[in-house]
Amino acid sequence: MADTNRTIQELLSDYAGSLRDGCVPVFLKSLTREEAQMIGDSKDFWDATEVVRVLNSVGFARKAVTPDVGLFMSRVDANITSRLKKAKAGTRRRRTNGARASHKSQRAEEMI
Amino acid sequence: MNKRLRNALKGIVAPDTERRRRAMEPFVRATFEMFSRYLYRYLGNEVECEDVLEDVYADIWENPERLRNVSNEKELVRTVYLYYMRKRLREVYRRMNRHLYLSQNDLTNLTAPELGVLESLSQEELEDALHQALKRLKSRERRAIELWMAGMSSRAIANELKTTVGATKMLKFRTILKLKKIMSDYCQDN
Repeated sequence: MADTNRTIQELLSDYAGSLRDGCVPVFLKSLTREEAQMIGDSKDFWDATEVVRVLNSVGFARKAVTPDVGLFMSRVDANITSRLKKAKAGTRRRRTNGARASHKSQRAEEMI
Repeated sequence: MNKRLRNALKGIVAPDTERRRRAMEPFVRATFEMFSRYLYRYLGNEVECEDVLEDVYADIWENPERLRNVSNEKELVRTVYLYYMRKRLREVYRRMNRHLYLSQNDLTNLTAPELGVLESLSQEELEDALHQALKRLKSRERRAIELWMAGMSSRAIANELKTTVGATKMLKFRTILKLKKIMSDYCQDN
């Protein structure tokens, strides 16, 4: 992908290769300003990307290794726990701030 | 939709967060492979699929409203892609954007696009449409696509077809556009 000034068919070929190999960011970083412009202007490129994704899905998704779902589930559960904690911390902070504010206003009133 | 998935979906859209959390495990077990395969077409690697899916499932747990009226698997995948996966896919690449020449719009279209005609099909329908489309290609075109799908590089395909790398890339590009047309026609006919 070090080649500069690639034609649109070369760009598509490189995009398809990067998608197949799971390294789309490498393709994105390899684009020069002119190539990015060319991609933006080419309707054929956008039409072709849809088929490339379909080919990727039909050709390679089945071969992808699916991990242990039990292990994955524990990651999801940890994520949910972390979100719950954040939500609780948020409400607690709000409550504490509210209590402090009312306490302060009470003291201010007493002073007056 | 099978009974297992239907029951899991019922639990996942419950108003009680604890019940939703308990329903998450059967839901993940029923959908993980399906979602993972779907996401694979946009990322092309299993590790990133897992990372994105972890957040997708947590998002579903947090806000399952969109799944309330889902009645079949195709609709489920479509809804999850449009309302949960797409947002996460964009986030994967958003941080990269400042170093890229692609516009934000083009980047989104490339990495987390709107669903086209072909992408709305289920996996089985896609396989069928592709199978039919490949039959209608010339033998050289079909061979180029089959070799590419077998994992060969453009150089290896060029060697196999006894041509240059440039000509192979051109052949692939034209064939892919031809495939798009044939498959779109096939979708309209069916």
